[in-house]
Amino acid sequence: MLNGCSIRALWVLNNSLDTVVFSRRFPVVERRWRAAWLSENDTSIEDPVEDTVLSSLPTDSELASAFSERRRREGSLRGFGIRVTQSTKGSDSWVDDPITRHVIGIYINKVEEGEGEGENHLLWPLVLHIKGLYSILVLPLVEPKHVKAYGRLCKRSDCGNAIRKEESLSSLLLDLPSITGACMVAYAIGDIVTGDVIEPEVVVSASPSVGGLLDSLTGSIGISGISSRGKPVASPVPPSAPSSTAATGAVASDAPKVGSRPLDKDALQSFIGSALPFGTPLDLNHSNISSIRVIGFSSSDLPPQDIKQPAWKPYLYKGKQRLLFTIHETVYAAMYDRDEIPDSLSVSGQINCRAELEGLPDVSFPLTGLNMAQIEVLSFHPCAQVPEQGMEKQALMFQPPLGNFVLMHYQATCSLGPPIKGFYQLSMVSEDEGAFLFKLCLMEGYKAPLTMEFCNVTMPFPRRKVVSFNGTPSIGTVSTTEHSVEWKIITSGRGLSGKSIEATFPGTVRFAPWQIQRMSSSISSFGSTLDEDSDNETDSSNNMINVEDFLMDKMNKDLPPVDLEEPFCWHAYNYAKVSFKIVGASISGMSIDPKLVTIYPAVKAPVELSAQVISGDYILWNTLGKCPSAATAKA
Amino acid sequence: MVEKPPTRPLTPQDWEALIDDFQYGGSRREKWSSLYPTPVLLDLAFSSLLRKDFPLKIPLLVFLEEFSLTLFNDPVHLDRLVELLTVIVQSPLDNIHITYALKEQMMVSATSILISINSFEEFDVRFTENVVELLLAVINRTNPGSDRHTRGIACECLRELEKSYPCLLSDVAGHLWSLCQSERTHASQSYILLFATVIYNIVNQKLSISILNTSVPLVPFCVPQRMLGSSSGLNKEVSGLNYKELRRAMAFLLEWPRVMTPSGMMEFMAMIMPIAVALELQASMLKVQFFGMIYSFSPALCHTVLMMYLHFFEAFDGQELDIVRRLILVSRETQQFLVFRLLSVHWLLGLLNKLVLDGEIGKKKSIVDMGFLFYPTVFDPLSLKALKLDLLAFCSVCFEMLKDKSVSGEVIGDGNPAVKLFEDGLFSVSAFKWMPSWSTETAVAFRVFHKFLIGASSHSDADPSTTRILMESTIFRTLKKMLVDLMLEFQRLVPVTVAFIDRLLGCQRHCWLGESLLQTIDNNLLPRVTVDYRLVSYIPILDRIAENDTIPPHGLLDLLTKFMIFLVEKHGPDTGVRSWSRGSKVLGICRTMLSHHHSSRLFLGLSHLLAFTCLYFPDLEVRDHARIFLRMLICLPGAKLRSILNLEEQMCGISPSPQSFFNAQTPRYYDDLKKSGGIASYIHLERVIPLLVKQSWSLSLSPLGVGSTKLGFLDSIRDNEASMDEMELDNNLQLQTLSETDRMVQPQEPLRVMDSKVSEILQILRRHFSCIPDYRYMPALKVKIPCSLSFESEPFNHVWGGESPRSGLEGVDALPAIYATVLKFSSSASYGSIPSCHIPFLLGQPSRSTHFSGQTVSLDIVPLENGSGDDETYKAPLTIELEPREPTPGLVNVLIEANAENGQIIQGQLKSITVGIEDMFLKAIAPSDIAEDALAGYYSELFDALWDACGASSNTGRETFPLKGGKGVAAISGTRSVKLLEVPADSLIQATEHYLAPFVVSVVGEQLVSILKDQGFIKDIIWKDSTPDSLLDATTSVAEFGRGLLQLTYTGDDDKDEKESHPSITGRKLGFIHVLIFLPPRFHLLFQMEVSDISTLVRIRTDYWPCLAYIDDYLEALFLS
Repeated sequence: MLNGCSIRALWVLNNSLDTVVFSRRFPVVERRWRAAWLSENDTSIEDPVEDTVLSSLPTDSELASAFSERRRREGSLRGFGIRVTQSTKGSDSWVDDPITRHVIGIYINKVEEGEGEGENHLLWPLVLHIKGLYSILVLPLVEPKHVKAYGRLCKRSDCGNAIRKEESLSSLLLDLPSITGACMVAYAIGDIVTGDVIEPEVVVSASPSVGGLLDSLTGSIGISGISSRGKPVASPVPPSAPSSTAATGAVASDAPKVGSRPLDKDALQSFIGSALPFGTPLDLNHSNISSIRVIGFSSSDLPPQDIKQPAWKPYLYKGKQRLLFTIHETVYAAMYDRDEIPDSLSVSGQINCRAELEGLPDVSFPLTGLNMAQIEVLSFHPCAQVPEQGMEKQALMFQPPLGNFVLMHYQATCSLGPPIKGFYQLSMVSEDEGAFLFKLCLMEGYKAPLTMEFCNVTMPFPRRKVVSFNGTPSIGTVSTTEHSVEWKIITSGRGLSGKSIEATFPGTVRFAPWQIQRMSSSISSFGSTLDEDSDNETDSSNNMINVEDFLMDKMNKDLPPVDLEEPFCWHAYNYAKVSFKIVGASISGMSIDPKLVTIYPAVKAPVELSAQVISGDYILWNTLGKCPSAATAKA
Repeated sequence: MVEKPPTRPLTPQDWEALIDDFQYGGSRREKWSSLYPTPVLLDLAFSSLLRKDFPLKIPLLVFLEEFSLTLFNDPVHLDRLVELLTVIVQSPLDNIHITYALKEQMMVSATSILISINSFEEFDVRFTENVVELLLAVINRTNPGSDRHTRGIACECLRELEKSYPCLLSDVAGHLWSLCQSERTHASQSYILLFATVIYNIVNQKLSISILNTSVPLVPFCVPQRMLGSSSGLNKEVSGLNYKELRRAMAFLLEWPRVMTPSGMMEFMAMIMPIAVALELQASMLKVQFFGMIYSFSPALCHTVLMMYLHFFEAFDGQELDIVRRLILVSRETQQFLVFRLLSVHWLLGLLNKLVLDGEIGKKKSIVDMGFLFYPTVFDPLSLKALKLDLLAFCSVCFEMLKDKSVSGEVIGDGNPAVKLFEDGLFSVSAFKWMPSWSTETAVAFRVFHKFLIGASSHSDADPSTTRILMESTIFRTLKKMLVDLMLEFQRLVPVTVAFIDRLLGCQRHCWLGESLLQTIDNNLLPRVTVDYRLVSYIPILDRIAENDTIPPHGLLDLLTKFMIFLVEKHGPDTGVRSWSRGSKVLGICRTMLSHHHSSRLFLGLSHLLAFTCLYFPDLEVRDHARIFLRMLICLPGAKLRSILNLEEQMCGISPSPQSFFNAQTPRYYDDLKKSGGIASYIHLERVIPLLVKQSWSLSLSPLGVGSTKLGFLDSIRDNEASMDEMELDNNLQLQTLSETDRMVQPQEPLRVMDSKVSEILQILRRHFSCIPDYRYMPALKVKIPCSLSFESEPFNHVWGGESPRSGLEGVDALPAIYATVLKFSSSASYGSIPSCHIPFLLGQPSRSTHFSGQTVSLDIVPLENGSGDDETYKAPLTIELEPREPTPGLVNVLIEANAENGQIIQGQLKSITVGIEDMFLKAIAPSDIAEDALAGYYSELFDALWDACGASSNTGRETFPLKGGKGVAAISGTRSVKLLEVPADSLIQATEHYLAPFVVSVVGEQLVSILKDQGFIKDIIWKDSTPDSLLDATTSVAEFGRGLLQLTYTGDDDKDEKESHPSITGRKLGFIHVLIFLPPRFHLLFQMEVSDISTLVRIRTDYWPCLAYIDDYLEALFLS
């Protein structure tokens, strides 16, 4: 039964104190591990070098010290992720794989039975999930041979993994679904630890959004105001997309976010008791579990006849029936305005749904109406039935769960063209002064009902202090902060609909003189010798062609390395970030025709559809400066 | 210790602290354990749990569960546990203290405890029976009641029991099935999983049992008989599965996948797949049912499909592409958590790997055609970019392999797809080119280089083909070119590139790749680098090149020389310390080269470079260092030079007695070794004649590379060394030329004008050389160093156990003795093999005190001996015979083996014997046919001939002279030097008489002759009471030789200046002393000492110029001290 997933133990650590604030061990799973460990040691030839797999679970203090030891060794909470010069043999980064920032190994210094002195025993795989102030470590059950295999990977003496290799981390991860399961557990626990359990947002025309599962339950059952905790909070979409801290210029993702709630141990314990009572996950849906805990059941909650009520839908809806769909799209754009680099524009969208339908009906609508050529990826909620042949030219049928849920994800190109077109040019006229020019065209080719609710353009200068600024835009208002200039083109309340506008903004911005910034500790941990320049800088100034290159060169000298979770080093570039919101329709062309939505068994229920588009990383790169790009394949 | 009242109940706060401390472990936990022994603790826990208003019931239950292994070891407590379970489960709900949550946790914890302590086997089965019965009672009422979730949990408890004790519930499988059918609430998942587990175990254990049979009642529950009896009972029923019924059950199970949560589905599939295999169900059935899950955004479901694919490989034939496409699309879903996007790439890599390993080359083709799907996008996080680049690397490897397969000439794609993938992929991190070297982009980029480079190879030894493939791969060629271009354009990447190459060099399997890269850089980068200050940033890579002896050093030396010239030219007031830093860095590379290459390879270029540096470099310290390196390069043989430079590394390798391995048979071996450790402190081997130069710089080194291996090494390279000599000698002239022009000027071939004088000289030299034995074919000339061996009695007795003083014996008889002493010699210098010495018997030296007391007693025995002579009794004279291959100073290591009186074997290393240059001084061999009275004339002529031959513009430079035996020939390549000794004539004469008398061949000058002749120390030589004319002649001829001669400035002043200024400084000239010293095996050292009142100018000529370094010290020690 190795294909399943069982958890041996999990820990929640406080990142700033390096202490365990919550731990849970599952003795039933541990017994299985112990048996496997004993039989492995019986069968395998005694190998003193390899035999350093930890046979039993560490105590909280052992784990905490081993974890902080790893943090010290690996430079940060997550670690280097790939082999760098500081990597040591036996450590995760020696394996040279970014996944080792998420699936880690630690060495427990433990005196095993019958051994004289403690030695380091490998504990692997620990799924590491950092949420708010806390690190969540989840240890799934694998076989001792897998741990040994990983031990070999991180102690290998050669130059690193080749592609063609029988023993590789990839094959291990493929063979071990328990690691995948453990990741899901870690994320579920993380949401509870920080208290921000999010339900997908569903928008209806009347009110901005409708509540989650508890609302529909309490509404239908007629209880109000129960539960002091666990009420899901609606939050902007996409819920699961790891929000990029980079756009605003923050660097260290390891830095704890302030404002997290203190740890609610009872909530955790109660969640674990239902979700994985023996360490084997049964259901990780926190809304369902907390509803069961909070509301319970009454004998009047009758299940449907002849059909089993799904485990993911413990309650059935009662009341006025309707079906709501909201299309959420996030636009990512890298606008270069250059001949050699094509602009890239992509939309990642999802359809959120709320089906207030009685019983267990099937809902279906055809996907053929969509402009399929534009949609690249479709993946669905587990409740959806996807035929074996794939989803082309098929109707999508699903049995909706209760409450708000994400029905599907998709990636698409933008059929309507970019909502904001144009360019941004910034040219340094001296070391501390830059002249810039924006020329933008908003909503070109966009027709009603598409409405742009607001549109801001931000020029971040995270490494320079803005002293003053000069210039007037053709439309909108400008304000500055210490490290940015913000241009509000369209403010909320004055939506732009049915026409396009052009906006230009020439101006200059002055910065405080450039100072060598204090090296963050992360740089020194990367250990590069900075004195290398002392010998060869003498003639570098003469060679510089212009002030811009000179400044670039100067500023780049203390550019800190970014985390592997970032797409590139944001600080190294000059760019303007556009943020906007468009409502009225999707811009990918994704749509659902309410007339074609069918419900079986047939019931009369109105179908409402809404759509909103927001900007993700919508970047106008400085046309005159450096910019990151990637090759696009010609299919 | 005061006994605490053990029954004191713990408050909820106490419990909280206790639970925390137990989990914390260590001392905090022991504190509680000592305070509350386990039974007491459990008693307290049970009573707390039974209390109605105890608020921490659930945490306490979890605590008992987590620490069940240490807490529950008494059946009494198990009884109480089961009792507690019954009480709590059966209590009516009050929704405050008795809640469903408590009931559920109670069931879970009780089950967990029973399983983890293995109560079924370790204790009575009745505990398990009772609990199972209770749980069955809970699940037995399938209805839509409010306890539906609790029933589900009870099913999970039963499932865990069934998992731990397979087939525990097999007898009631029929009942479970019908419960499963009737349950319609959300708890049905647990019922289905429970039933599936039971089926799984039946199939797995191959039980022939009817699952339709409900004759056995559900309650009361009894453990099946087959689980209680011996193992034979179990076998009895293994007669075959009841396929028909099981297939029906399976069909039932497969009806309900839609009710499962993703986690439940994972668990379900884990059981279904093995059942399907065992029941020989069609895999396609599962595929139809479950393949759609791969389109779910739940990672668990995706992975479950992958597991199914791996399980039923054949059934999915043709669907690999769908899976691959799907996985790559998952990685592009920005809505997913990053870790799942990374995981999907890993799964893909794992799958592709399996496909390749299985040799599914056909499928690969279509997969690699999807390569473009793997391109990273701009906003992909760097970690994802890195993994996608791995995929691209994989594709490029496949391209290369496909290319191999399609030998027929089929071209896949256009251009080179492998390189295209590489270049396109790299685009996404191309910022590394201008970012700081520590940027993450850089790290990712170099990781990609590595992946693409070694992608096609593996680290297993069983894979022979990869080297060739890699060598020929276009990727390798592309990468080499790219790295060179990168380093040329972006100097900051040099350290990173070095780290990259180091990584390859450090790998046993791929170090040749690193070497090959270095070679490429040497060939392609060095010529293109502009020589300016930025060259300093290339130092790390140059250092690596210098380290690698597969790379000819001339390119590097050339570049460094150019750089040094640049530095010297650009030197100005503002370069200051920078010049020092840059110069030192260059010298650092020189040092690296010295320690990794054969001197002969380096000699030409390096001496060039060093000489230039020590002449012209603005910084004094750099000049000094260059001079030291130059001296080392010139004077030390290569092997030794390298060992000196690697001194630290070798230090630990020296064992006290390396040869003791060969006679390690005695049982006291280890003992002896320990005792032998400090043997050199009381057994002394000393030179009879102390060396003049005590602390010569080359001699102050501790013994290196002792032992037999070293000797063997020397033997093997003897011929090389000999040829190296020749080469080094040839280079000598060039070195001198260099110091003036700083460019190498090939010496012009001198015109061979054979006048009568020259032919006369040649004749003399031929005659002389024909007397010199060719050591390669006959016994070489020997250098003898008289020594004496002695040892101190007292420390000897102390170590070797002799009682001192021995009772009954007095005086000499009381002294210890060693027998059958064998001294073995070895040296890292080229002294040939040194014969060992044997001393049959040696008495210990009496210590000071006993010596005197012994003296008084034994006066009558040895009355004739004087004070100094009696020491000789305790000293054994011996002679070390060397056959030098080169007349260089060095160390001779001494290994002693002897027997003590009590039969113990003494072994160990003694202090090494220092061999000085003066030990090499021999009198030239005279031909046997020279009459004794003609000898003086012969030497004088020989001196003149050699003097002439060693002149720089000598006419004999191109002549070769056959050695004795006729096989070898020698050429003379002379060097000149001068030394001004500011000593009065009389002390000079005295020293000369004392030390150099045998080597003086002639004395010229009336005054000098008269002084020396009177002293009588020097005899049988030519005395020339020459007129001033002839004296003038002599100097003129010297001056002629000197014209156009270029000398190292540091050896002295120019000859011309010397001649001009000489009379004024040195005052009255007394005459010349001519000294001819023969240096074995075939070299000469000539002095022409121009003696005057207050100083003496020594003109030195030699055909073995490395000796000049020692001669300088020697002359100073001889005359100035």
